[in-house]
Amino acid sequence: MNFSRLNQARRGVGPLENELIDDYVAGSISRRTFVTRGSVLGLGVAFMGTIIAACGSDKAAAPAGTTAPGGTTAPGGTTPAGGTTAMTSKIKQGGTLRIASQKPGSPLDPVAMDNLGSYTPVTQSFEYLCGKGTAASLAPALAESWSPNADGSVWTFKLRKGVKWHDGKPFTAADVTATLDRLAGANLKAYIKAGSAKATDDATVEVTLNKPDGQFPYQVSLYNPQSLITPADYVVGTTLDKRPAGTGPFKLTKFDVATGATFEANADWWGGKPYLDKLEFIFSDDIATQISGLQGQAADAIVQFSVVGGDALLADPNITVESIRGAAHRQIWMNTREGTFMDVKVRQAIALGLDRQALIDTVLKGKGDLGNDHPVAPVYEYWDSKQPQRTRDVAKAKSLLKDAGKEGLKITMYAPKLQEIPQLAELVQTQLKEIGVEITLNIESTSTFYDEWCKTYDPICDGGKEFGIVDYGNRGTPDVYLVKAYTTGEWNSAHYKSDTFNAAVAKYQASLDTPSRATAMVDVQKIASEDVPYAIPYFYNSLTAHAKNVSGVVVSGLGHFECGKAGFTA
Amino acid sequence: MRRFLLKRVASALITLWLLATIVFLIVNVLPGDVGRKILGPFAPKEEVAAFNHRLGTDRPLLAQYFTSIRRVFTLDFGNSFQSGQDVKSIIFSALFRSGKLALLAFVITIPISIAAGIFAARRQDKLADRVVVNVGLASSSIPEFVTAAVLLSIFCVHWKLGKVFANPPPGTSVIGQLEYLLVPAMAMVIAYFGYIARMTRAGVIGALQSDYARTATMKGLSDNQVMRRHILRNALGPTITVISVQIGYLFGGIIGVEKVFNYAGLGSTMLTAVGAKDIPVLQGAVLLVGIVYMLSTLAADLLIAYLNPRVRLETAR
Repeated sequence: MNFSRLNQARRGVGPLENELIDDYVAGSISRRTFVTRGSVLGLGVAFMGTIIAACGSDKAAAPAGTTAPGGTTAPGGTTPAGGTTAMTSKIKQGGTLRIASQKPGSPLDPVAMDNLGSYTPVTQSFEYLCGKGTAASLAPALAESWSPNADGSVWTFKLRKGVKWHDGKPFTAADVTATLDRLAGANLKAYIKAGSAKATDDATVEVTLNKPDGQFPYQVSLYNPQSLITPADYVVGTTLDKRPAGTGPFKLTKFDVATGATFEANADWWGGKPYLDKLEFIFSDDIATQISGLQGQAADAIVQFSVVGGDALLADPNITVESIRGAAHRQIWMNTREGTFMDVKVRQAIALGLDRQALIDTVLKGKGDLGNDHPVAPVYEYWDSKQPQRTRDVAKAKSLLKDAGKEGLKITMYAPKLQEIPQLAELVQTQLKEIGVEITLNIESTSTFYDEWCKTYDPICDGGKEFGIVDYGNRGTPDVYLVKAYTTGEWNSAHYKSDTFNAAVAKYQASLDTPSRATAMVDVQKIASEDVPYAIPYFYNSLTAHAKNVSGVVVSGLGHFECGKAGFTA
Repeated sequence: MRRFLLKRVASALITLWLLATIVFLIVNVLPGDVGRKILGPFAPKEEVAAFNHRLGTDRPLLAQYFTSIRRVFTLDFGNSFQSGQDVKSIIFSALFRSGKLALLAFVITIPISIAAGIFAARRQDKLADRVVVNVGLASSSIPEFVTAAVLLSIFCVHWKLGKVFANPPPGTSVIGQLEYLLVPAMAMVIAYFGYIARMTRAGVIGALQSDYARTATMKGLSDNQVMRRHILRNALGPTITVISVQIGYLFGGIIGVEKVFNYAGLGSTMLTAVGAKDIPVLQGAVLLVGIVYMLSTLAADLLIAYLNPRVRLETAR
């Protein structure tokens, strides 16, 4: 332990950061948690490297698994921060990357866009304050650094200098405050009010939150896709195609919602001139078509596909499939308030009847993480690795059912026809047969399923059914799942209500220091897993694919497909 | 001839109105809430209500009906619910694309299949005839999306002779576009070849056995002269009717082929619009297909009337 280096390093940071360092020095948090949490609090990679080195726990000075943010490295030198594994060492200058992507389902309005098909093109031009780091961590983007005040109620973002909009105007703090004002009336309503963000100088923005939040940077990062920074004079409702703008690596030159979009490289990008000259988007709503396109060399990359229908790519030697771990999952809901599943024993029996590994192997071809009946995925910093994994126990499941007087249970399971869900439902049906539960499947189109669900039975999204499967996409933190599905939220299909659980979630959200958050999170995971309002068999990886000679793309699993540092190797 | 035309135009307008009404009814029977569909299952209730209000989908059905009928006759369908773009520009560019593909398919199909039909009729019941009839039957009995998928995987994915995505990038030359459109057009050619060839064959065989054909032969005309002056004029009537109906179909009905080749024609535009409950686009596209149908039928009627004076006289009476 090199205390003089540690103390020197500590001087420049605030109390929240120092607490984090204390926790790491004391060994109460892992290096991974330190790095992720540090990135949220705005600690630089070099800084964290110094701390880690000073603690002497690692050989390397830079935290492994973290890489320098894309913009500050010499081109070609390092791997960009984020989800890709591909090396960028031999990328050549030039070329057009043809990307097959989902058709935008909504206008290219940065504030109102609501689907992956729109995120992908919009984020070629517009950028976030905080970008993607490894796993669930954040990396600098338009903000070069950020830090909270003592209680996390005010966050100061230091903006990158010398950034220019595509029309040549300089990017300043005024753009950020105007954007945040627009978001205060929309996506960030719960966090800020109009006027909460103030420019203290041209390159510094101070954001006063409605209430303290130690995780606020996630809300202005790619994990909140609508938080893109737009020019000060941008009006809500303006779309990228009507008014091409941005600070990002590519400028929109042509957009046709029916066929595709074309972007050209922004030579003045703050991250350096992109390798690629052009991006060509080919819009297609059909994954099978996109796959044929990639295999037929009509496209160089596919933004996102699922294992179902995508097996051909997994086996293709000419194609690289990137598998991004995340928190996207399926919940098997069981109504806890009335009916068959009121008794927790029945719910536990269902959970014990699942052979999770078999589900992952069959339905996901192994591309996923085991779930433990709580929504905290292993990629999250607060995932409790000490919690015992629930495994299949047919005998115990049977005896629980017997105790609850539910032997020979017959029940209908409702599920949407979405990606692998129908197969999952069938396998669950087969597996639970062995514990003596007979399931009738009712699989409906997503439109019927969701219309039924959220319209008729608002605010509880269960379509009036006591048993079914529902999907949840990837998020940077588990808060959405915890609040909306488990506590008071409108997606609480299981009608779950537990004061102890709510208290644990409230404690997690209110605490700003890492150990108390972690402790609260241990409880959250334990209670959810014991009460099993939802059986969560797995977290599935997002899959993206590209030709073998494409390298350096950064993907988030949320529709982002960053090409600023991407290019062809040969 | 003028009366004939007027009559046809009047009936076309009525058909258009009926079509618009049917589209409106169908769209409003589709389950689900427009705002909910577009904003997604997780949007708050108030936002959905506000969105519906903005679109006008919360107004009484009758009011919506009048709006939609007015739109048909002014050809102003408003903006797409989904993308916010002007419907007219969406559907006309889709129509243009469909038109290109249909034209290419027709330019290939018509001469080949009519020639094959005549060829087979002249050799009735011989081997050549059997081959044409059976190949035609086989090819037209395979659904075009199956043919399309097979052609795609052979020519585009495996041999890489054609393009998997049929939309040519902006700025592609006419010749360059052929490379994109040829394989999907082939799928359509295969589907229609048999149909048109058999229609032609049947018509020609019927005409060959007629008295006037025998008389023409007996007065000393050569086979080719008989064929050109007497037989084809009479025999092609039904074929032209079939072709004209197929034109309408080619514009809107080849969803399968468009889907497989990711071609943004009218068919796939309609399909996407149905899925997203994008009523303005759906309405515009369906009506456009209807108009194309009517125009092509009208053109066929005129062509038949030109070829066969009896038709002209009948309608003029």
